[in-house]
Amino acid sequence: MAALANPGLPGSFSFDTVIYASAGSNYAGVPALSQYTIYDTPDAAYVTPRINISVFANLGIGAPWPFPNTSVPLNGHVCIPRGRGPFPLAVFAHGNHDPLSNSTPGYLYLCSLLASQGIVAATIDVNFLNGGNFGENDARGIVHLEHVKQFRTWNSTATHPLHGKIDLNRILIVGHSRGGEGVGHASFFNPLPAIKPDIFSPTVPLDGSAGLGPYRFALRCIAAIAPTDRQYTPITGPTVVPDRYFLIHGSRDGDVSTFEGYNTFNRAHAVDLANPTVSDGKLKALLWVLGANHNQFNSTWPTETPPATTMPRADQEQVAKVALGALAQALLLDRVEYMDVLRDHATAVAWMPAGATFVSQYQDPERVYLQHEQEAVAPPQISLPVQGTAAADAVTATRVLKDLVNSFAPITTITLRLEWNAPGARLLLQVSPVTLPAERYKVLALRVGQSTEPKNAPNRDQDFTIEVSSGSRTASFPGGSVHRLIYPDVVFGAGKIVMQTLRLPIASLVERGVDPNDIRSVAFLFDRRSSGTLYVGDVQVSN
Amino acid sequence: MRASDAPQATGIEVVATQPTKADRATLAMFESTERKTLPGAAYIVKVRLKTLPEPTSRGFALYVGDLRIPKYWTYRQGIWFKVFDPQFFAEHKGEPIRFSLNDTEFVKTRLKLTVPKMAKTKGGRTAARLPAQEDVLK
Repeated sequence: MAALANPGLPGSFSFDTVIYASAGSNYAGVPALSQYTIYDTPDAAYVTPRINISVFANLGIGAPWPFPNTSVPLNGHVCIPRGRGPFPLAVFAHGNHDPLSNSTPGYLYLCSLLASQGIVAATIDVNFLNGGNFGENDARGIVHLEHVKQFRTWNSTATHPLHGKIDLNRILIVGHSRGGEGVGHASFFNPLPAIKPDIFSPTVPLDGSAGLGPYRFALRCIAAIAPTDRQYTPITGPTVVPDRYFLIHGSRDGDVSTFEGYNTFNRAHAVDLANPTVSDGKLKALLWVLGANHNQFNSTWPTETPPATTMPRADQEQVAKVALGALAQALLLDRVEYMDVLRDHATAVAWMPAGATFVSQYQDPERVYLQHEQEAVAPPQISLPVQGTAAADAVTATRVLKDLVNSFAPITTITLRLEWNAPGARLLLQVSPVTLPAERYKVLALRVGQSTEPKNAPNRDQDFTIEVSSGSRTASFPGGSVHRLIYPDVVFGAGKIVMQTLRLPIASLVERGVDPNDIRSVAFLFDRRSSGTLYVGDVQVSN
Repeated sequence: MRASDAPQATGIEVVATQPTKADRATLAMFESTERKTLPGAAYIVKVRLKTLPEPTSRGFALYVGDLRIPKYWTYRQGIWFKVFDPQFFAEHKGEPIRFSLNDTEFVKTRLKLTVPKMAKTKGGRTAARLPAQEDVLK
């Protein structure tokens, strides 16, 4: 780990920042749009076409845009590393904000970082969708994909400065706020030949025949910063992100105060009950940042929360740089050692602001569940194909459809609630060793989090012991030795229960004499606190 | 944002308007992809509000009865959405206008969906006498 460079610090590439834009907008002719005049004079090589998004969106009255929805511009800022490339591509999109204020430059601090590390990084203008409107996040996704398409066009144009400089097999799209919801829809739309956006709209080809698409990009990952969820819902139901998914959100978010992106996260790469051993091959990870708010992820948006209760802006930007820098290193630049940052935020602690606190989750595509809890709201059981029994001793174990994060939205993911009133309680998961191929995996992983319910002492970490047995050998680990199980940061209501993934190396079990070919039980022993209430998302062997 | 922040609706009006150029393309797409013949009009449903929604991340979904209106946009006095198929009005006439922040809790208004005077003929003859959308949404 010592050899790893801080992914939040500039790399060795020098780079150029270029404005690209559609010709003829003449923002300068509209005094209210003075922040957009930079797009009146794009670099001569970077003049873009316009697109027709009229089936997806109208333009609000919040700003006197000098174009209609049939002819919106493709404007943006792109940081281009010097060198031959090809370089991966990252494209950022802002969310909803005052349309008279240009939100686009707010991610240049991240684009600059990524460009210095050898990634072409752009931040795009979606301001014409901003205002008091609602439900337009499909259009944000389409605009995002059209910008990526523009980079593909430049990459394949022999006379263009970007010709051959972009590695189209390594694309990351990042969205913040409504733009964070939009990237999920973009991921969903990406492979489609056509889409009927909603009940009031006709089917729109996305194959290029009507101007939009084709896409079919090799999206390496979708990253959502403090996203909304389900403001736009496809006719087929809430969007399930098909690509790798990374989510970052602040506990002090004063806008998307509901952490509703957690529901997007839950829907992505969920267990297929019909084929529980079959993975779709995609990872997902989240980082919950204590003290971070909504607006400070965009460097141009004023803070929406009091400074006294909010992480300082510089610290929040540092967190974003480290998290997204590590994501880019791991998934765009194939520096697989940075995957450890996604797997466990503790890996990055030296790079993060001093004293910053996080909760993280990681689900590897290679996993077998001992328990995923999704069979039914029923007594807990071992999940097939692993066979065994779940037995509660002096602990109340109940599966619940709990809105863990105060999203106030319909909940479809089941969580196991454990409550005990005296030390010594235990939940014992006995398994048939031949059905649990632990020897093929690197970790025993479980997601656990505490609530603000009365059995938990306020502002105190919760803890318990994990016991893993094979035959006569048992290894015990305090959960808190793997990661803190922090008391929720209560801003309103009951606070949010954000579970932490505890990753217990199989190798450490072997060191304690446990045979991974013969694991017979995994137990939660509640001997470290006299009482408590914990929520468990799943238990799995994983990589 | 809380339920108490829900938009305060003061009126509703449905106006048959001339389709814009983009609407005409949309109507053509409807006809070609869904084999549906529609009147040559665009129905604008305007919901007047005391104050316009703030440009924040979160927002209230608009419901007509139990139907969540997929999208809405702003005009000077409130929000609006557009309907091409008058069957919508036949199916939802008189249903209450509601708002929801989360699709589980609803904020009622005193308003119900009204029905527009239908454009009677296809092909633009009636539509030509309808008001332009930019005038209706002033």
